[in-house]
This record gives sequence, structure tokens and C-alpha cells, in this order.
Amino acid sequence: MKAWRFIQVTALIGAIMIFVVNSAQAESVRNQLAQESTIEQVLQRGVLKVGMDTFVPWAMKNTKGQLIGFEIDVAKQLAQDLGVEVEFVPTKWSGIIPALLTGKFDVIIGGMSTTTERNLKVNFTVPYNYTGQAIVANKNLAPGLSTLEDFNRDDFTVAARTGSTAAEAARKFLPKAKLVLFDTEPAALQEILNDKAHVFVSSAPLPAFQAIEHPDTLYLPFKDTITKEPTSFAVRKGDVDTLNIFNNWIRRKELEGWLQERALYWFNTRDWADQVE
Amino acid sequence: MRHFKIGPLDVILLVLLAAGVGYLAYVVEARMNYTWRWDAMPKYLAYYDEEKGRWVANFLLQGLFATIRISILATILGSVLGLLMGLARTSRSGLLRLLGTGYVELVRNLPPLVLVFIFYFFFSDYIAQVLGLDDAVRHAPDWLQNVMRVVLAEPSRFTAFLSAAITIALYEGAFITEIVRAGIQSVEYGQWEAAYALGLSRWQRLRHVVLPQAFTRIVPPLAGQFISTIKDSSIVSVISVSELTFQGMELMASTYLTFEIWITVALLYFSMTFTLSMLARRLETSLARRLG
Repeated sequence: MKAWRFIQVTALIGAIMIFVVNSAQAESVRNQLAQESTIEQVLQRGVLKVGMDTFVPWAMKNTKGQLIGFEIDVAKQLAQDLGVEVEFVPTKWSGIIPALLTGKFDVIIGGMSTTTERNLKVNFTVPYNYTGQAIVANKNLAPGLSTLEDFNRDDFTVAARTGSTAAEAARKFLPKAKLVLFDTEPAALQEILNDKAHVFVSSAPLPAFQAIEHPDTLYLPFKDTITKEPTSFAVRKGDVDTLNIFNNWIRRKELEGWLQERALYWFNTRDWADQVE
Repeated sequence: MRHFKIGPLDVILLVLLAAGVGYLAYVVEARMNYTWRWDAMPKYLAYYDEEKGRWVANFLLQGLFATIRISILATILGSVLGLLMGLARTSRSGLLRLLGTGYVELVRNLPPLVLVFIFYFFFSDYIAQVLGLDDAVRHAPDWLQNVMRVVLAEPSRFTAFLSAAITIALYEGAFITEIVRAGIQSVEYGQWEAAYALGLSRWQRLRHVVLPQAFTRIVPPLAGQFISTIKDSSIVSVISVSELTFQGMELMASTYLTFEIWITVALLYFSMTFTLSMLARRLETSLARRLG
């Protein structure tokens, strides 16, 4: 009996010790995770590094070479609320996710639409804005069309930016048309201005702006966007602390009405146009 | 300077050339839908800052300066590497020859774009991180940061700049190696023998007899290589180093002034390379005169 009792007590003590050690380990793992989280490093460094690519009117350069735009406002405000400096790292769109994953910057604030494919590589915050793909058509090559289906012809050419959701939308909604991809928006736009493409797909409101700017060549077949897409910040995977802070920041700014007010200024007005040209 | 004589053939050629340029202008003007806005361009080169009360370089000029800084750094590193590897390629030691040959064949046979990407991700992710380069630069004293800003790049983009310059140096170095090797091997064997007969050591023969002769022969191809360096530096725009091409493309994304910007960028590159060509020609003639 005594031996049995001894075994019981030993087992109990053993179990308690394992529990204590385990929870201590869990505690230290948690601490370590928190220490290694992006947001902690941002605070220690005192600088938030933001990856973005130039894209009117999300992020663009004014005549003095400073960055302005919707994303720039968002990133600046975020950094200000975190109490750190902001540093923009202009990066080509096609390589922006690899650059985030390899630590060239802390977060992508670049009007990035959340797609499942991208989500497998990065974590997205809750949406801070919604966008959609719109199309603008060439007057000389494809005049007088008014529905999306009209453009789905095998003798039509669609221009879009490499790696963008515009390219995906073109593949999905205009599968018969020939898709040509360019590294930048202006190059894709030039293609349609030169009468080499019938349609140009890009995030709204850029197609509408371009139709206003080139009334002789371009027209908007319809006002709606062909997709509705949430746009979010992208951070490296497995970093719950950073995600939590960004998510709550976005929710707050949304409820305050600040995000909507900024979006209205950049997307529905052209008040900023004189800063760019 | 030789004097030019303009004959009938030259006149015909000039007329044809002018017609070609005129036709191009017509195509752009009439057939392509493009509104030229050259008046917008000067301010992207430089503008008058009222707060500071002086002229400030805007992004195209900033890009030009960055290209010059990258090219100078890459040329210096590439020349040192090329000279060492060129000597290795002509050395008597089989191991050194193997090293030089391996380097040249590896680098020369890869597209520079691939090299840039490999080196960028490898260098700034592993080497720079292990060395703690980023933090070191960020925490460097202010005066050092200012020096770096003038001579190299913004502290925040330092590792990208460095990996860009090193990649170009590696790439150009392979060609310089071959130029140096060709120069050394072009010196007649009799020169080596004569120097040997004078009782000079191998190093002395190289330094006093062979290299000076080789040098005058490699000046033209070397100048061509330096000019190439400036042009090749545009490739690092893919890793978002803010040199001239990258700045031009960023500006295009903002303003959609595609043609004006590409033409201005082309002129800026040309002004750099042409200046270098002229300097190289001067050096050639002065060397030729000095050596008779």
C-alpha cells in the first residue's frame, strides 16, 4: 500500500512539475513571439517601413518629389498614432510580396486587394477600403459598346498591369480576349491610347479619370466596376500582435469616419490634381 | 582635329536623316494619340524651393546623381576585381587561373537581371542581416549618415544600394578581367624575355615592363566598359534602387508623361556617357603622345 501511495504522490508531483515547466515555457514562447513581432521591432526602431508602389491616386509623387495620396495619408496617420516615423519603400508591384516576406519593410499599404492566392503567402488585416476593377475602352477600335460581354471577343486585346487584380479580372470576365500585361499602368494605358488594345482594365477610379483626360480616344462603356474588392494591409504570416494592432486601428479610423473622408477626397474629387502637375 | 569636307553624298545622307526624323515626328504627332507636355518637364529636374531659398534637385536629377554614385562605386570595385582576376587569369598558378576562369565564365554567362535578383535577396537577407548592416547604418552618428547620403545613398536604402553596386561591380568585373587578360597577353613575348634577361623578377617584369604597355592598349575597351557600367546600372531599378531609370518610371506612374520622361532620361544617360567618351578619347591621345 505504501508503495502505491508513493507512486501516486510522485506521479502527482511529476504532473504538477510538468504543468509548471510547460506553462513557464509557454509563457516564454509567448514573450518571445511578442518580442519578435513586427510591431515590437517597429517601436524599437522608431520607424515604420511601408512598402508601396506608385499608383494614381493611391500613392504618387507631387511636383516636389514628395509622396502624396490615399495610402500615404493612411500610412502617415498610422505611424503618427503608433508614435513612430514613417519611411516609404517604393517597390515594384510584381515583387512587392517577396520583398515583404524577406523583410525589406514591415507592411504593405498599397491598395492591395485581398485575394485567396495572396492570402496564402501573407496575412491581411480587415479591409480599410473597398475598390473594384473598372474598364475603359478605345473609341476607334471598339466604339459604342456598353456591356462587359460585348468586350469578350477573341479579336479584342486587353491591357493591364502585371500581377494586379485587374489582370485577374480580365482573365475571368474577358476570357476570350487576348491579355497583354505591362509592368506599370502608364505603359498599359499607352497601349490603348496607341490603338493597340481595345480595353484597359484597372482599379477604379483610374479608368474614369483617363476617359476624362483623353475624350478623343477613350470612353467609359459603363459606370459600374466589374468586381468589388476589399483592400487591406499585408503583413508577414504568423504575427498576431501586429495584425491585432492594425485591425483595431482600422476599425477605429473607420468608426471615426476618417478613412471614408480621406477616400472621398482622393477618389471622388480632383482637388489634389494641381499638386501632381 | 581633321577637317571635314562635305561632299554630295554627305548632303544626300543628311537630307535622308532629316527626312527620317521628320517622318518619326509626324508618326508620333499624327498617328499616335499623344499630347506633348514638355512644359511640365523642367520642374522634375529642379525647382526653386521658397522655404530654403535655393534651387533643389528634383527626382530626375536626384536619380541622375544616384546613377553617378552607383556607377562610380561599381567602376572602382569592378576595376579592382577585374585587375586582380585578370592577373589571376594570366598567372602561372593553375589554381589562380581556375579561379579567374570560373569567375568569368559564371558571371559572363548569366543574364545580369538574374544576377541582380539572386544577389539582392541573398545579400540583403543573409549577409547584411548577419553583419547587422541595416541597424549599424541606422544608428551611425549623424555626421557619418550625412557623409553616406552624399557619397552613397540614403541610410534607409543603404543595403539595397550596396547590393546593387556590388552586383554591377561583379558583372562588369568579369568583362574587365578579360580586357586585362587580353591586354597582358597582347604584350609581345619578347618583352618578357628582354625583361627576364635584365634580371628582373616576375613581379618587376609585370610592373615595369608589361603592365604599362598593356595599359595603353586596354584604355579604349576599358573606357567602353565604364560607359557600359553607366548604362547597365539601369537594371537595378528592378530592386527599387532609386537611380535614374527607377525615378523616371515612378514619375511616369504619377504623371503619365511617358514619352517626355523616357526622352529626358535618355538625354541624361547620353550626357553622362558622351562626357565619358570624350574624356576617354582625350586620355587616349595624351597617352599616345606621351609614349610616342
